[in-house]
Amino acid sequence: MTAATHPRQIVLRSPRERLALRLPLRAVLMFGLLLLALFLTVSVNLATGSYGVALGDVLDTLRGITVTRAIDNVVWEFRFPRTLAAALVGAMMALSGAALQNATRNGLADPSLVGVSQGAALAVVMLTVIFPEVSSTWRPWAAFAGAILVAVAVQGLARTKQGGSTIRFILMGIGLSAFISSITSAMLTYGEIDRAMAALAWLAGSINAAGWSDVWTLLAWIAVLLPALLAVSRTMSALRFGEAAAIGLGAPVKLVRNLQLAIAVALAAIATSVVGPLGFVGLIGPHAAQRLAPSGMAMHLILTAGIGALLVSLADLIGRAAFAPIQIPAGLLTALIGVPLFIALLLRSRGTVLH
Amino acid sequence: MTTVTASTPVAASYPIRAWSGVPALLALLVGAFLLHIAVGAKPLPVGTVVDALTRFDPTVFDHVIIFNLRLPRAVLAIVVGASLSLAGALMQGVTRNPLADPGLLGLTAGASFAVVMVTAVTGATNMALTPWIAMAGALGAALVVYFIARFVPGGATPLSLTLSGAAISAFLGALISIAHLLGQDTFENLRVWLTGGLAGRDINLLRYVGPWMAIALLAGLALAPRVTVLAMGDEVAQGLGVRTGRLKLQLLAVVVVLTACAVALAGPLGFIGLVIPHVVRLYVGSDYRWIVPYAALTGAVYLLGVDIIARIAIPPREISTGIITAMVGAPLFVHLVRQRTR
Repeated sequence: MTAATHPRQIVLRSPRERLALRLPLRAVLMFGLLLLALFLTVSVNLATGSYGVALGDVLDTLRGITVTRAIDNVVWEFRFPRTLAAALVGAMMALSGAALQNATRNGLADPSLVGVSQGAALAVVMLTVIFPEVSSTWRPWAAFAGAILVAVAVQGLARTKQGGSTIRFILMGIGLSAFISSITSAMLTYGEIDRAMAALAWLAGSINAAGWSDVWTLLAWIAVLLPALLAVSRTMSALRFGEAAAIGLGAPVKLVRNLQLAIAVALAAIATSVVGPLGFVGLIGPHAAQRLAPSGMAMHLILTAGIGALLVSLADLIGRAAFAPIQIPAGLLTALIGVPLFIALLLRSRGTVLH
Repeated sequence: MTTVTASTPVAASYPIRAWSGVPALLALLVGAFLLHIAVGAKPLPVGTVVDALTRFDPTVFDHVIIFNLRLPRAVLAIVVGASLSLAGALMQGVTRNPLADPGLLGLTAGASFAVVMVTAVTGATNMALTPWIAMAGALGAALVVYFIARFVPGGATPLSLTLSGAAISAFLGALISIAHLLGQDTFENLRVWLTGGLAGRDINLLRYVGPWMAIALLAGLALAPRVTVLAMGDEVAQGLGVRTGRLKLQLLAVVVVLTACAVALAGPLGFIGLVIPHVVRLYVGSDYRWIVPYAALTGAVYLLGVDIIARIAIPPREISTGIITAMVGAPLFVHLVRQRTR
């Protein structure tokens, strides 16, 4: 295998050039940096908390060396699953945002802005409050059902005779979110107080309860959904030019768009079912990825996932450490970063977005 | 821009029809008021309610319930409902924006935020200062939302205003939650306040807030005729001799005061200012001389009604009033967006 370097990209070729993989250098570099930052954040996250652990001990523990039983316990049983869950959920929400933005041709789309997260939240709260005897393994499915219902409703309501308008889509999402949130709140008032409290903690988008079973659930779904999304990424690239151009290029636009929406909804629903709604990650991820390294769709998706993972890990770390022992849910911090970005995008939007 | 306001028949030419609604509304208001006091955990006959209000006897237990618990809440529902609806009607007129509402455009979030932050920093709420703090917050949020929308390509359209209002509300909401988590002891009573409802409110605050509300309500009614002209467009209004700049500032002041006082009293109650003016327009048309007073009366009746439902829907518990206003208001919002952006 030879690696031919070009000023901006690396090309990996198999012998006789049967297969070639072209990698944009900057994107690869950025991805490396992201992974490094993610690793650092995760390590610091594992070391910080009410029971302080030295960073060196954390690294030893991760390599399988038992420093003390207590450290082993704290790191493996409590902090590591939580940290992993934060990173995974972040990646999923960011990917969901990327798929939504591409499918709806709308740079402002985010699973929490268009009501998908709220739909999932309502379904899960209903499950916890009305049917408390149902096992929590049903949560992801309930969340998915709720999310898909809302996604379809928003799409249907936003559709005009001329096709879907982007701004309508967002406004419908805002309206439906308000409606669904009010039902969720009513559900919480209606339910038994301890069940309601459990649902309430989950609703704030807090990751503190995540355990290993959650991590496995998330990993299993990512293992299915990420390859699926990457598989349609070629058509997604074509869609970047607009629907008409993509059809002209021979892309199966309708199929891919529906597939994308389904994947986006599934990603957001699974993530929401584990940690509750996390606002604005889906908005930040794709735009930040675009800024870091403009690249092809597949690389863009991978960068987006990396940024989402880093963002939520950082938000979780800050929320845990900044005002300890009080924990600030990660969802609040992501909203604080996301809103200024949303406004900046709004200000830069050309006539195509607002009309 | 004026799709909603202009498409309905103008009722100015039917003053008899417009006047005819007033006694009906007043009767409805009295009825809702009495019913609101009568229902509850211990249902009381309406006769007792009337008795307590006209010939109060401190030795009768029911009279004490009515005077100390139920009457304050009913009064709150009336003033808050009237204020929010009137504020919404004026906002819709002055911005020619059928989606305008103190909640949607960030004013209630701004007022809540200011009150929460001052409480977090100083550690206590000073009743005399609360209306001022809330006003400052509402004004600040209104200006930020307006200027963001102003600089969006295409200008301050109903849509860009709504989006920037939603963004600012989300931002302030996150900050409020954080402040809330950090100072849980200080915020024990704020928790109730932030859900937006009329339960367990401190009626004493009305003494400080009431005068401002009364002035703003009267000012709103006085300005209403010129809002009709303003709603036809700035050029038309100027041509008819209205000093639009000054009028807009006056209206902004009225809206800010009304919203801030309503929030100080009852917390953030959403969608009332959106719903009521639209309902009123169906009857009185697009003349703000009628819309504004009708909105105030209808808003009072509406909030009384919503609060009755909130108290009796799931006994023995109570739903937050704000939840029900959102349940009713959000579908109307969706409908208006569909109509507006067809």
